[in-house]
Amino acid sequence: MIKLLPRVFCLGLLFALSHQSIAQTTSLPAIFGKVIDASTGEPLKGADISVDFKKSGVSTDTTGSFRVYVPYGEWVIKVSYVGYNPYRTKIYVKANTELNVELNNVTKQLEEVIVSSAATKRDIQTPSLGVTVLSLKGIKKLPTMMGEVDVIRSLQSLPGVSSVGEGANGLNIRGSNVDQNLIYIDDTPIFNPTHMFGLFSVFASDAIRDLELYKGGVPSRFGGRTASVLDIKMIEPNTDKFKMQGGIGLVSNRVMAEIPIIKEKLAVLVAGRLSVNDFMFKWFAPDYLKNLRANFSDVATKIYYRPNTKNTISLSTYLSHDYYRVDSLFSIENVVAKQTSFNYGHKNVAIHWNHYFSPKLNMMVSGSLTDYSTKTFAPDTVNTIDLNSSILYRNLTASFDYQPRDNHKMNFGITGTRYDIDPGNLNEGVVSRVATVKLPLEQSYELGLFADDEWTISPKFTLQAGLRYSQYYRMGAGTINEYVPGQVPSLSSIVKKTSYSDGEIMASYGGLEPRLTMKYSLAENTTMKFGYNRQQQFFQLLSNNTTPLPTSRWKTADTFIKPQQSDFLSLGLFKTFNENVYEASIETYYRDVRNTLDFVSGANLQLNPNIETQLITGKSKAYGMELMMQKKKGEVSGWVSYTYARAFNQMIGDYPEVQAINGGDWFATNYDKPHTFNMMLNIQPTTHHSFSFTFAYNTGRPFSSPSGSYEIGGKKFPVFAARNNDRVRDYHRLDFSWTINNPSMRKQRWEGSWVFTIYNLYGRQNPYSVFFKSTKNGLRAYELSVFAAPFISLTYNFKFL
Amino acid sequence: MSLSTKNILFYLLLLGVVTWACVNPIKDFVQIDATSFTTIEADISDDPELSKVRLTSSSNRLQSQLALPISKAIVTVIDQNGTQTVFTEGTPLGTYYPPKGFLGKVGSTYKLNVKMLTGQIYESSAETMKAVPEIENAITRFETFDQYDKVDVRRAGFTVYLDFKDLPTEGDYYLWNWKHYEKIGLCATCTDGGKYDFKKLDCVQPKFPTDAILNYMCDGNCWDITTNNDLNVFSDVLTNGQRVVGRQVARIPFDNWTPYYFRLEQRSITKNAFAFYQSLISQVQSSGSLFDVPAETRFSLNIKSLTKPTERVLGIFNVFAVRKKIFIIDRRKDIPAGELPIISIIPGETYACPPGSVGCQDKVPCIESPTRTKITPEGWVF
Repeated sequence: MIKLLPRVFCLGLLFALSHQSIAQTTSLPAIFGKVIDASTGEPLKGADISVDFKKSGVSTDTTGSFRVYVPYGEWVIKVSYVGYNPYRTKIYVKANTELNVELNNVTKQLEEVIVSSAATKRDIQTPSLGVTVLSLKGIKKLPTMMGEVDVIRSLQSLPGVSSVGEGANGLNIRGSNVDQNLIYIDDTPIFNPTHMFGLFSVFASDAIRDLELYKGGVPSRFGGRTASVLDIKMIEPNTDKFKMQGGIGLVSNRVMAEIPIIKEKLAVLVAGRLSVNDFMFKWFAPDYLKNLRANFSDVATKIYYRPNTKNTISLSTYLSHDYYRVDSLFSIENVVAKQTSFNYGHKNVAIHWNHYFSPKLNMMVSGSLTDYSTKTFAPDTVNTIDLNSSILYRNLTASFDYQPRDNHKMNFGITGTRYDIDPGNLNEGVVSRVATVKLPLEQSYELGLFADDEWTISPKFTLQAGLRYSQYYRMGAGTINEYVPGQVPSLSSIVKKTSYSDGEIMASYGGLEPRLTMKYSLAENTTMKFGYNRQQQFFQLLSNNTTPLPTSRWKTADTFIKPQQSDFLSLGLFKTFNENVYEASIETYYRDVRNTLDFVSGANLQLNPNIETQLITGKSKAYGMELMMQKKKGEVSGWVSYTYARAFNQMIGDYPEVQAINGGDWFATNYDKPHTFNMMLNIQPTTHHSFSFTFAYNTGRPFSSPSGSYEIGGKKFPVFAARNNDRVRDYHRLDFSWTINNPSMRKQRWEGSWVFTIYNLYGRQNPYSVFFKSTKNGLRAYELSVFAAPFISLTYNFKFL
Repeated sequence: MSLSTKNILFYLLLLGVVTWACVNPIKDFVQIDATSFTTIEADISDDPELSKVRLTSSSNRLQSQLALPISKAIVTVIDQNGTQTVFTEGTPLGTYYPPKGFLGKVGSTYKLNVKMLTGQIYESSAETMKAVPEIENAITRFETFDQYDKVDVRRAGFTVYLDFKDLPTEGDYYLWNWKHYEKIGLCATCTDGGKYDFKKLDCVQPKFPTDAILNYMCDGNCWDITTNNDLNVFSDVLTNGQRVVGRQVARIPFDNWTPYYFRLEQRSITKNAFAFYQSLISQVQSSGSLFDVPAETRFSLNIKSLTKPTERVLGIFNVFAVRKKIFIIDRRKDIPAGELPIISIIPGETYACPPGSVGCQDKVPCIESPTRTKITPEGWVF
């Protein structure tokens, strides 16, 4: 009874405050008004009114009306109703004040979380299993590293997507190697997705509309990689209105403009980003670093032309450039150079023509080109070096969308790609003591025929069946070595060289790639999906580094390097709750890849004309389970996910006694991290503020731990007897960001916003690797951490509409 | 937090924030595997002092000093003419030396055969000794590394760059070693109140340690030896027949004004040895970057077991020719104003027998070891 008293007293007091008859006798002013549904205008009964963050006990009546008495002064009023976004305001009460409130129904609100935001139900309604759609608007809400909105880094908060470690180049998706993922920007491939050796992704975020990540069911229109597809689409510029936006950050400055040229017909998009690191070095770096140069830039443009309602033509270009100058690092082996510079970048161009024959049939014809080139140079000594390499990719595609009946959606087409690879030429036409080395050029064709049909068999059952046929030709001119049969290929075992002239076929491979996804609705909000696909890869990256260098060599298949082939199976269960506010999913997969590559111990991959002597062929397998729970709407949104994933390689080679890695046993890949837990939380109390937290946890990645030590020349060295037999410590990190939109709170064409970010909030020194050094006192183990302290950054963004 | 490798530094620098990337020693590193392997380190050289074969069983611990010598093996080297040379075990145990007068010859091909007491037989591939060019010139330049503190001896020093002309033949591989001899006056230092025991030839600690430090003078000439800690190899694959200039071979500390005795050794090694050393370099010297290559020991590179072909053998059969050159580096030349050497001061008192004491010894012997010698180094002019 005594315990009850205070509660009774409080209730009594609140009742007194709210009861009109008593109120008439008080001299307190009232806040009164009506609460309605913003979209329907219906009054909301039972909405709670809070005063200064405390419940007042007042709620709206059947007409949506309320009245609450407060003393004179300033009060924060919050109106909340289950299933609706709450409303907050600050009122200075001098007399009776009217407050009419419109609340937004959460279920009708557009999703703003990054995942699957294109359409509310898209993720579970398309038959494509494992497709994730991400909007840039959502990605921009995630905390960033150094204030740079980063597509690659953001993707890593999704289940199934990871990398070797912080600062690593590229993505590992469902146990894939970085080169097994196809990255497209407006249908032109990206061969190196990062700037600054892996720190930032190359995509200028302002120019991106959305991203589609196909980590499971890959439609047959995509080919040439054995794992996933990341399809990035650039914004189509607005043909009506000039728009501009940009930002000033710690790492880079950016600007994007959409410029209409002919109203409703022709518009241009220009987006650029330029790093400002040199200033950082000049201002903050110690003296000995002031010479270091590291700069990057990227420019994306798109011209969009719609001559009439039946045709659209667009021309997209994307250029990226990196420049470094460092002291004697990553230089070419066996060259004396004090300082080495690097240049690398993409030049991508694509032209698209869309023609609408009828509402049932339309055609897309595209021509695209990517030129990725790298240059390593040291011009200032007698040992001048000038090493160049390049990949020229040219593609023509024609595809058709055809919908003969409502329950059939078809996509079919033909595509052809030509690769011209200059794997490396050193000092061609350069006067230097360092020799001229020119590796033979490599050229090849990859042709594909594809068709997909999405067939709605019944309202419950949808099937998407696809088939792709890929044919590959390695073309002359070129030379093929023949080695002594039964012996490991080496320079000394070459018995014959066969020359092929220009245009002759040196090797060819081909095969069918079936693709299948099925969706079955178990109940109204519950869907089961199954997927199978086979994919082939004729073009791969040769790198034995933990993460590939931007200058790493790409190679097309030839007599010795067989195309990779993968089979992928997945099964998933998806369920939405509470009118799509919540979504839960569980997905499992198994992936099996043949003809993957590893390298002999101490392999020499750069400038090696007989690369087959350095390779070991093997198999890979990966499997996993991904659990995810999302809250897609409301003041608080976000997701939690848990992933169990494994990825192994088995490298036996054709000559196991000398080539087998790890004794021919399966070993964990560098990116095998069994347990991953990710959490993202976005809190948006008003349109002016939003707070985000991301938390990431994963098992530490494998490294090779020594079995002991031995002495050579009086010095001790570790004995590494097994590959990746131990793991670094676990990884975890918390990030925070606070976005203040339009701080002036006035409606105007120029709208600014500030983003304050703390990366690695609690400053954990997450290990990237464990390695061993021989010191004067013997061998010691060390741990390398890349971002070992909290990093605070502030970015200013603007929009001009 | 130590910032050891250049690669890591690069990252620090790249981002301009020095507190970022870091390298921490792991204090309690636990091995998950502990295995010993037969280790054969065999050197055949045209320098009579350098030819020897060492047989050990490798330590199964990273930190432990224990590599068990393998004794009583039959070690033979056969040249291309079938001439067989038997190496006999000497000291320390497990080390086998050729008979006096044995000298490797440039152009000759050698093959190693080892028969263990246990019956195991190991054989190397045939390796041919390659000619080595003379060391022509070494250039010393005073350079400071400002990432280190002013009081850090690593900051200021002399970088030694080498010039030589590569031989016209293709496929030459080089390795450089250096040795520095520093004449010392004090041969022993006993800390914690310890005293030198002239029978045991070592310091003896008292029951209750004190702060006292006693230094003992040497009883004759004695030199401390410093050698290169890093491996330094080079291939002429991109510079065949050219003059190679500016190859950095050493870093000499600015820890005194005195001339610095520096003996440089240039070896021509075989392709296999080059591959072997390169793998060691990638494991312990160029490791610690974001771009490390897999840490892999090159087992059985040119020595294989005949009795058990799958056995993984550690080590290398290293056939090389060698040239040496002694440089006396003047540490007073071209020093910028304001730069002073960091001369280390040995703490404690120098022990001396009380005057008139009978049978008292206050000078200790110079004990031969890899880091100390009483033999006057070649070309010692001071």
